[in-house]
Amino acid sequence: MAETGPKKEVPTVSVRSLSCPNCGATVTIRSFGQAINVVCGSCHSILDAQDPNVQVLQKFSAAMKFQPLIPLGSRGKLRGTVYEVIGFQRRQITVDGEKYGWGEYVLFNPYKGFRYLTEYDGHWNDVAPLRTLPNTTFPTGPVNYLGQTYKHFQTAHAATIFVIGEFPWQVRVDETVTVCDYVAPPRVLSSETTSDKEVTWSLGEYMNGGDLWKAFSLPGHPPTTVGVYENQPSPLSATSRTIWKTCGLLLVGALLLFIINTALAKNKTVFTKAYVFDTNDPAGEHSFVTDTFEFTGSRAAPVKVESYANLDNNWLYLNYALVNDDTGQTYDFGREVSYYSGYDSDGSWTEGSRRDSLIIPSVPPGHYFLRIEPESDRKPGRISYTVTVTHDYPVGYWLWIAAGLLVVPAVLVTWRSINFEHLRWQESDHASHSGLVSALSAMSSGDNE
Amino acid sequence: MIRKLYLIYGLGVLGFLGAAQFGGWSLSQVNQMKVVPKSVRDNPGSYRSVYGYYHHYTGGK
Repeated sequence: MAETGPKKEVPTVSVRSLSCPNCGATVTIRSFGQAINVVCGSCHSILDAQDPNVQVLQKFSAAMKFQPLIPLGSRGKLRGTVYEVIGFQRRQITVDGEKYGWGEYVLFNPYKGFRYLTEYDGHWNDVAPLRTLPNTTFPTGPVNYLGQTYKHFQTAHAATIFVIGEFPWQVRVDETVTVCDYVAPPRVLSSETTSDKEVTWSLGEYMNGGDLWKAFSLPGHPPTTVGVYENQPSPLSATSRTIWKTCGLLLVGALLLFIINTALAKNKTVFTKAYVFDTNDPAGEHSFVTDTFEFTGSRAAPVKVESYANLDNNWLYLNYALVNDDTGQTYDFGREVSYYSGYDSDGSWTEGSRRDSLIIPSVPPGHYFLRIEPESDRKPGRISYTVTVTHDYPVGYWLWIAAGLLVVPAVLVTWRSINFEHLRWQESDHASHSGLVSALSAMSSGDNE
Repeated sequence: MIRKLYLIYGLGVLGFLGAAQFGGWSLSQVNQMKVVPKSVRDNPGSYRSVYGYYHHYTGGK
């Protein structure tokens, strides 16, 4: 976070050791002169660090309940400055009877002052107090800070349940504050209101646990993250927007390819002829061949064979063979034309179509003829039908198939992004309007970039 | 990473589209046969289609 306030005077580095007046153990104060309270590491009594007689403020005789993940005294470089971990407190909220706890670490640099780290379920935040107040429609409206809008996430009463080390404020076990969190991932604005209405604002930024472990040279690995945290940046939100932009460009490319192919296609009717099939013709053989027609050009092209029959409550099946007169290569296929209609209690109905077509793929140029063998019921008598052959017919459905193949991954990424936002807001005070609304809002605002 | 993968995938789809369109591809099922005697022109009944003798559903509602 950029510091916006006046430059502070450089404090004197002073480390002091003293004896705990409760148990006699040695207590080291690393931020002497700035620490308000210090907690004895042995008996956990809270001491007044600014009192020359080190008065005991609160006795806390229970054995240590919580072990800080980053040990006190650890040093690490954050944002180019070396900080030392000097204090740790465990806080807890209760929601619907469930207790949720997190850890807060006090970091100190004698020249830069205090900074904080928070950890909840493996999610870390680097937190610094605000030097200017944000604009807010307290308590649940959005908050504006340095031009960024933060949405209210949660308001809860947090109790301090464990402390150890040094603190630059009057810390007490069982003390409660009202915490309001406002999020604009990867940042979170938090206000803490004490019982005497004193409000403190801080700004946190989501941190990767692995980076923290590296910065503090800690052994092992950071705890695994659980769930989605309130200001955890979505790994897919920015990706989703970019993929849709790329998808749009690719769709335009696909459309251009289709237009170019359609413009270049001959789409030429090379044969059309009407025939009559007499089902009562006593001749047993109804097959015949057509005149020869030519597919010109230098490349194989799709050929459309269209059949139209003036049927009514009847069917016509046509056995086709498209034969290359030069090579003997044959494309054999059968097509049915059937059309039924009527009227019943539901009204009029129709079924089938009088027109049918088939596109033969990649037919080389050459001279061709059709062998046609019609079949139908005996009863109808004469059936008129027309056969039309179109060479180099532009196939339109490839464009739709390509469009589908391009859109599906973009939809999947968007769905995952929406699901991420849904999981985030499920943990908020606004779970009922989570999901699509928040997700689309977050995606469109570009907060996660 | 996802963006790059998607771009590569998308360009592949465009390549597929171009090949399908300019190669004259079709999804239609057509049986191709290499050797059909030229005599079929004079005697169409000598050729038997693999789709012949169609058993039709004489449907309607």
